Amino acid sequence: MISDKLKQVILTELALKEFNLQDETVASQVPGWDSLNHINIILAIEKGFNVKFKGLEILKAKNIGDLQKLIDSKIPA
Amino acid sequence: MPLAIDFEKLFSLFTYDKHDPLLFGSSLFLFFFLFVLIIQRLFSNQKVLRIYSLLFFSLFFYYKAAGFYLFLLLFSSAFNFIFGRLIFESKTAFLKKIFFTIALLVNLGLLGYFKYTNFFLQIINDLKLGTIEPLDIFLPIGISFFTFKALSYVIEIYLEMLEPIKSFRDFSLFIFFFPNVLMGPIDRASAFLPQIEEDNPITRADVGRALFLISCGLIKKYAIADYISLNFDERVFGFPLRFTGVENLIAVYGAALQGYCDFSGYTDMALGIGLLLGYKLMDNFNRPFKATSVGDYWRRWHLSLSTWLLDYLFKPLQISFRSMRKWGTALAIFITFFAVGLWHGPNWTFIAFGLLHSLYLIVGMFTQPVRRRYTDKLKITGTKFHKFFQVVFTFHLLAFTAILFGSPSLQYTLDMMHQIFTYFHPEVFPQFVQAYTTVFIIIVFGYVVHFLPKSVEEKAQNLVIKMPVVLQAVLFAVVIWIVVQFKSAEMMPFIYFQF
Repeated sequence: MISDKLKQVILTELALKEFNLQDETVASQVPGWDSLNHINIILAIEKGFNVKFKGLEILKAKNIGDLQKLIDSKIPA
Repeated sequence: MPLAIDFEKLFSLFTYDKHDPLLFGSSLFLFFFLFVLIIQRLFSNQKVLRIYSLLFFSLFFYYKAAGFYLFLLLFSSAFNFIFGRLIFESKTAFLKKIFFTIALLVNLGLLGYFKYTNFFLQIINDLKLGTIEPLDIFLPIGISFFTFKALSYVIEIYLEMLEPIKSFRDFSLFIFFFPNVLMGPIDRASAFLPQIEEDNPITRADVGRALFLISCGLIKKYAIADYISLNFDERVFGFPLRFTGVENLIAVYGAALQGYCDFSGYTDMALGIGLLLGYKLMDNFNRPFKATSVGDYWRRWHLSLSTWLLDYLFKPLQISFRSMRKWGTALAIFITFFAVGLWHGPNWTFIAFGLLHSLYLIVGMFTQPVRRRYTDKLKITGTKFHKFFQVVFTFHLLAFTAILFGSPSLQYTLDMMHQIFTYFHPEVFPQFVQAYTTVFIIIVFGYVVHFLPKSVEEKAQNLVIKMPVVLQAVLFAVVIWIVVQFKSAEMMPFIYFQF
């Protein structure tokens, strides 16, 4: 399940008011999430959650659900 | 008179001749292909036989094009099959990385050796760092295409997007598959491999679509690309200073259309042939000259290469440079398009072609907010006028890169630009139309068809699909007749073979 905070970070970065983001949502389904914006979203997530990803971890993430798992793995419970 | 069989000639049909590969448009290919197709259909419910016959024919097809460099193809298949497993089965991330690095080095090392050794020796000589004689290296046809295809398999396994396939036979078919082994599309392992295990039922719609694609491909290649090239473009590109700016400019428009029709014509044929065998290959083009920006163009041109580079080179670079923000993206674009240029061949014109594209994209990225502000102010953002302007502007940026692509050296590019900008002479235009009427009609026809809405193509395709078989056969016969009329006595190689 993706958190409200992650949703908010993505929507703010893409200047979207509302979009139904789900675990299975992939970048190409979200308006404005192109290859140039992709990196801005990653940077916004790293800043928003105060985490640092490895390049390979980002490449392996197939959808937003994977991004959420990646964030969770970096934040101590 | 008794029928004499020339066994020597018959034998030569089965042996390698570097001047006579099995081109899709040749009658010999048609003969062999019909034979393969009959086997495929006769034994449609015997998967093993079907796969082996395809493997065998694919190897023969490659042997006809590259002789005993066929063993390089076999090596690529065996090596990447083994390394796919090694990467997947490695217990530690470190070991995974080691095997992956070896796989990358071997694949790119082979590609580099065959394609770029003499280019680098030439650079060493030019920079006066030494005097080294060029080596006698044969360039195995299609090496850039099958290397990238094989690399997609190991990369996808490394990124945990794919599990290694168990069958070496099936993996080899992915690498050898004759419709795409020489000139792409660079199909992804994850999309192609599952099709081998399916039962590949071929519907009537598939046959109609294949017929439509092959017909389009034949016309694009032989009636448009070759005709323009042989009868006009080669002359202007060969001696730009002998012509005025008018002919030079039309030759540039011709070259852009020729490049597209040559390559997309080949792809159409490959897709059609694949469909008849029960395989759906990746589409490579989506009306590239309709692009509203250079970025949009790369989402429409040579898609199997552009998405490959986007996923496996641009994205990793962009992620590594992310702390530099836009400048990091600019650096990633620069490196990716340097690779695009180099991939096309060991020639400075290709490298300049790639770098020019990177310049377009980087300038486009940095000026995007300013341009947006202006179009907003003028209230034209997103209007038809705006789009029309974007298409025309983008087309001319691309047409300029077509000069680099078609020129034997940078000097020829400069000569053409010189003629266009300083020796234009518009009064020559009526004489040009009179002297090259057919060329002119073909160029106009080619662009008009290109800019028709996609729905027209879909309707034409559906019409062919729904036609009775007899009519389909008549249509195909008409296409062949047209092609024969246009086909020059000399066989023109597909431009992309050399890559």
